[in-house]
Amino acid sequence: MEERNTLLIVDDVMINRELLKDIFEEGEYKLLEAKDGEEAIEILDANKDSIALVFLDLVMPKKNGLEVMHHMSLNNMINTIPVIMITGEATVESDVKAYELGAADIIYKPFEPAVVTRRAKNIIELYKHRTYIEKELKIRTKELLESKKQIEQSNVFLINALSSVVEFRSLESGEHIQRVKKFTRIMLRHWRALYGEKQFTDEQIELIVNASALHDIGKIAIPDNILLKPGRLTEEEYTEMKKHTIYGCQMLEKFKQEENEFYRYCYDICRYHHERYDGRGYPDGLKGNEIPVWAQIVAIVDVYDALVSKRVYKSSFSIDETFRIINEGECGVFSPKLLKCFNDSREELVENTTKEQME
Amino acid sequence: MIQEFYEKINGNYEVAISRMQNDERIQKYLKFFLMDESYKSLEDGMVSGDCDAAFRGAHTLKGVCQNMAFTALSTVVEQITEELRAKNFEKAKETFPQVEVEYKKVINEINKIM
Repeated sequence: MEERNTLLIVDDVMINRELLKDIFEEGEYKLLEAKDGEEAIEILDANKDSIALVFLDLVMPKKNGLEVMHHMSLNNMINTIPVIMITGEATVESDVKAYELGAADIIYKPFEPAVVTRRAKNIIELYKHRTYIEKELKIRTKELLESKKQIEQSNVFLINALSSVVEFRSLESGEHIQRVKKFTRIMLRHWRALYGEKQFTDEQIELIVNASALHDIGKIAIPDNILLKPGRLTEEEYTEMKKHTIYGCQMLEKFKQEENEFYRYCYDICRYHHERYDGRGYPDGLKGNEIPVWAQIVAIVDVYDALVSKRVYKSSFSIDETFRIINEGECGVFSPKLLKCFNDSREELVENTTKEQME
Repeated sequence: MIQEFYEKINGNYEVAISRMQNDERIQKYLKFFLMDESYKSLEDGMVSGDCDAAFRGAHTLKGVCQNMAFTALSTVVEQITEELRAKNFEKAKETFPQVEVEYKKVINEINKIM
């Protein structure tokens, strides 16, 4: 960036300009002068990267000092180019107005050379420092955002790795979890659009989407002979199988570091994604709005994906049939609000349902 | 020479020299003062009865006189500036002859040493 090495002196009276010029004559600065506000604005526009300081008279023909300041505010110069107002007398109104418009300082006529040079030097230093700090801050912010992005990426990677362990063990394709995540995101966005009351932010949606990947993490604790059994489970085996919701939470509790939002979503989804709206689900038999919305959403997309997918033990249902089964409560019981959201999401859900999973 | 000039017009030479550093510079500014048009604006405003124009001229002249340390002229100009700021044109009309006397004295003395 260009070095700021120029002083602009704006005053309609030649003697006043000459006095200021003489004060800085032997200094390190290049001097420019303007005899009215219009000229000052032209010079400012042409030299906005090299002007270090403006001495600005208030009362001038054409455009006055306040108008020049206004132009500088509008054009983003006021934060990088300090303005010292020069004025014949101190009236409270004009002083307040000048500071409001962003003047860095005010000096009164007649000029005292030692005071003027000292103040000018201080203010130039101050602004230089400020510009430097702002630039540094921008760089740091960018770095922070980048490392935040990296952390988020590694988090997503780890969550995917963790959840695929379960799938790998249950001999599933590994795509079920990716689809649950996609479907959860679709449903959450529709939920937000439909029911303003529970606004999810974009960040919250992503947290819930990531948490949805862990919904079946507790299955890792289910013995092979139950988890991998091709036929129908006995009553006893089914009771054990249902405990995957509890096992998931126990695991989470063991490695939780602190209670935070993401942990809360993970916990709720692991525990409550088999609850039913009528209270006849498991493990806690919660009903109605006792079941957190995010767990309700993961529950319905889990059922949807299971129905439309071909599994070892069953063939797939058609899209129409799947929507009918879910809406008529033949597989899980969901709230009317959730069903409305589910039906609203139909188009996007279907778009993300692949032929491969159905055949 | 410059010091004598300041004595004749009731100015403050010490202040002037501290502000302008040396006699050569002061002389340069005295030349500029001859070219300055603010007195003319004040005079025109007083003659035509344009209070705002007279105020602007007086205001500018005041700043210049303060910078030049023309104490006597500065004092009467300051008085008329305030009268014009308050739109008290009648009062300003009474003050103006004093301004005229002091101003002409300054111009006269400058011309003598140029």
